[in-house]
Amino acid sequence: MSRAYALNDWYAVADAQVLARGPRRTMLLDQEVTVSGTTDDLRVIDAEGSAYPAQFRYGHVWTSLGDAPRPLFDIPEADEPGRRLVPCGVVRVKCSPLRAVENFLDIAHFPFVHTGILGSEPHTEVAPYKAEIRDDVDEVWATKISFYQPQAAKSAEAGGDTQYLYRVAAPTTAVLYKTCPPKPEAMDVIAIFVQPRTETECDVWPWMALYDDVSAFAGLVQFQQEIFLQDRSILENQRPVKLPLDPKMEIPTRADLTSIAYRRWLKSKGAFYGALTEDA
Amino acid sequence: MLTAPVGLIRDLDPKRVMRAQVNGQDLVVWRASNGDISAWDNRCPHRGMALSHGFVRGNDLACLYHGWHYGGTGVCRYIPAHPELDPPKTIKATVFSVAIADGVIWVNTQGAAEPAPVPMASQPLRSFHVVSHSESLARACRTVAFEGAFPEQLEQGLYQLGARQVFLLENPLDQGRLQITALADADATPEGCAALSRWCEAVRRSAQEEKVAA
Ligand code: FES
Ligand SMILES: [Fe+2]
Repeated sequence: MSRAYALNDWYAVADAQVLARGPRRTMLLDQEVTVSGTTDDLRVIDAEGSAYPAQFRYGHVWTSLGDAPRPLFDIPEADEPGRRLVPCGVVRVKCSPLRAVENFLDIAHFPFVHTGILGSEPHTEVAPYKAEIRDDVDEVWATKISFYQPQAAKSAEAGGDTQYLYRVAAPTTAVLYKTCPPKPEAMDVIAIFVQPRTETECDVWPWMALYDDVSAFAGLVQFQQEIFLQDRSILENQRPVKLPLDPKMEIPTRADLTSIAYRRWLKSKGAFYGALTEDA
Repeated sequence: MLTAPVGLIRDLDPKRVMRAQVNGQDLVVWRASNGDISAWDNRCPHRGMALSHGFVRGNDLACLYHGWHYGGTGVCRYIPAHPELDPPKTIKATVFSVAIADGVIWVNTQGAAEPAPVPMASQPLRSFHVVSHSESLARACRTVAFEGAFPEQLEQGLYQLGARQVFLLENPLDQGRLQITALADADATPEGCAALSRWCEAVRRSAQEEKVAA
């Protein structure tokens, strides 16, 4: 197990709702931590009582266990007026945190796993798109993605082609931008903040920043959770449980460009927590 | 025992998929529309999804995750994300040898499947899992009465129950479990088989209780 890289990233460990209920004792990178306080007076401590830095951002409490945390990534859309910020609760998944992120970056599974919502046969083709590691910002980006969706969002009334853009801001954080049915010139933002409990278990906190004034809050959360529970049934049945970084272990195709870039990026950084490396 | 019994063919209709285990190897066992049975490593070569969650399309097994199709030889035949693409032949599921004998599906993960001989004229009875080991199961078989009398063990796995006979095939699984494939003598009537099947259930419970007590 190598936590070296992972220690200096930030992780969501609670949302405002959880925090309001009282202290949350949880696991982060194989270590027990307890989150308590209020959104402007946060406390994160480990079992020995040592304190860790904490900040409230994007509807969640973030902490880092390392000595030299990298800055928390920016999601500028969070501050755009008119967007509804929707934290979607938490889903526990028995899988590698990296497999959870990779699944989030994948569109080819929509017709099979999110049948009738995010995809449907025979609309299975993944058109060529672009995926790249952006060295200047140290992120993975996938652009020019277009995919047919029967019900792209809670607010969508009919099927149609949806444009996607993905951004991997940290090994356990991915943000997607997709065309938003009521406001064609803008894009909905959906992110997953993955809290790595161990290398083989994570708590996933989906979060959205939407232009949707119509749908009830509960309906939006339910829509997102339903989708995520479908993903969980996949994620808990992949073997090996850890994400293999050796390209020979799993065979990709052109639709997997984002996943290929993501794995390569993890490898180049030494972000091995939750990964299966050749020397492991 | 390299070739192991993984169940009855009767319990695997065409277009059905099941999960099995042989020598610690996790398997998907599935039956094509044409009746052919295959046993593979339960892992999709694409992104490692358990193929036992997949579904049969014609004579192919399709993975649940991205719908890739694999034919009976294990070779990938279709990638839905690229409908025009002829998939490289190197994309292939790991295939194991299967044989059918006495209504039983046999799998060998290390070589050609060679079914073990069944020491009687038989018919399929049932298949079940039991949390127990071989000895407690044999003990349960001798001590659970059938129609008022204790069965007699004739040889390994073979029991005389009054006029009836039962042959139990064992396949050891992980976590101290056994998969049992039970055969009845060929002369047993449907009623006779129903009674033998109830006896099997009583044996299963008895063997598990002993395991708990121990
Ligand atoms: S994991 Fe099986 S098709 Fe992708
Ligand atoms: Fe999904």
